[in-house]
Amino acid sequence: MNRVNPIHIIALLIVLLLFVMFKLGNAREELADAKASYATTVLLADKIKGLKSNYFNKTKVQKELNKLLRRSTLRSANIVKKVTHSSMTLSSENMNIRSLNFLLGKILNGTYVVSELKIKRLSDKTAAMRLEIKW
Amino acid sequence: MIWKFKKQHSTVFVDRDSAVFEVDESVNVILSPSLYWVQKRTLPVKSLREVKPLIESLFEDILPDGHYSYSAYKEGDEYLLFAYQDKAILDILAQKGLPPSKVNAVYFAQNELASLQEPKKIDDENVIAIKEGIVILLPAKFIKTDALLDVNDLSLSKKSIALKQFGHIVNEKSLYRLIALLAVIIVLVGSEYIITLNKASRLQTQREELFSSYNLKPTMFQNKALLKKYEGIYASQTKLRTLLAAVLSMHLNPAERLKVVEYKNKKLKLAYMGVKEGEEGIIKEQLKKRGFVPVKEHFNSGIWYVEFQL
Repeated sequence: MNRVNPIHIIALLIVLLLFVMFKLGNAREELADAKASYATTVLLADKIKGLKSNYFNKTKVQKELNKLLRRSTLRSANIVKKVTHSSMTLSSENMNIRSLNFLLGKILNGTYVVSELKIKRLSDKTAAMRLEIKW
Repeated sequence: MIWKFKKQHSTVFVDRDSAVFEVDESVNVILSPSLYWVQKRTLPVKSLREVKPLIESLFEDILPDGHYSYSAYKEGDEYLLFAYQDKAILDILAQKGLPPSKVNAVYFAQNELASLQEPKKIDDENVIAIKEGIVILLPAKFIKTDALLDVNDLSLSKKSIALKQFGHIVNEKSLYRLIALLAVIIVLVGSEYIITLNKASRLQTQREELFSSYNLKPTMFQNKALLKKYEGIYASQTKLRTLLAAVLSMHLNPAERLKVVEYKNKKLKLAYMGVKEGEEGIIKEQLKKRGFVPVKEHFNSGIWYVEFQL
């Protein structure tokens, strides 16, 4: 009569099954949270990376601007370049409209953060310009 | 050194007519022959294992309707076959003050009393005797004896039986199948639990790797703030470009000229010369169509100054 009653084993197994199912439910919720969190992080990381590499990449911006300033169209514009740790300022007291159009076309169509811009018409064909780009 | 003593249980003989027992500790029970059916048979089988499937059919024509359990023991060249009703025996034991908690083990009188040399009295009404190797219970008037059966002097065999409390409701095989099924389900659910935990853990690791590979800030709060800052700058830069494109591509009257364009602190200021007071509405209307409405404007010395907030 000391033998373990199968009914007791079944009751124990049912309790154990309920416990394991409860734990599984929790684990599934944890997995769903982890998936959502991973997806959010991937999205956030991609956005940050995209914006950072295009607009806030100091090396890339400097390299592209230097390359742009070497173009023959801008050589006659007497553009003065001033670089700080977080920005580059381009200014010209007197530049022709062709050079100005070329420079603005490249800057405004490119991925640069224009923090300051001032263009003052001097005549129908010349203008003074000051442009600050940040990264 | 720890000494262990085997606990000694007293033994009682239980019959339908037995008086109610008053016991403090669990006891061994010897079942009266009136509580089971027994056959002694010679069978053409080699082992006890082969006998067990046959028992039910051997009792088929003898037993009244009911739910029976069976057991068998080898005795010399013959086999002792038993049939009994668990529920009926348990009920009788309970009636006699012996619930399952008070019962240590249950034995058949056949196995424990087969070596009796002479009939013994159970009580005033019944005598236990052996006939052709079978232990039987007879009314006392059939056999005269004064010797009383003392079951506590007996050295019990190992041939005890386990009474099934729910055997009459569900057969044992079904219970064990259910146990096996439950065990399999538990294993499956447990496996899924472990797999799910592993997946969650792997995702967590991959997320941490993202932080290092994308060179992100340590917390999501910082990263969200950084993204918000970047997106704000991106939005204002896009707006600046759209507004400049609108301003620079606008058709002006031959006398009108854009004299100054100035952008700083998210404000775009424009100065137009040659615009007569009251005619600036044409320029404003063109810009309004593209979604830009000036926040400030004024005329000074024939120049129209206008300001937009980005």
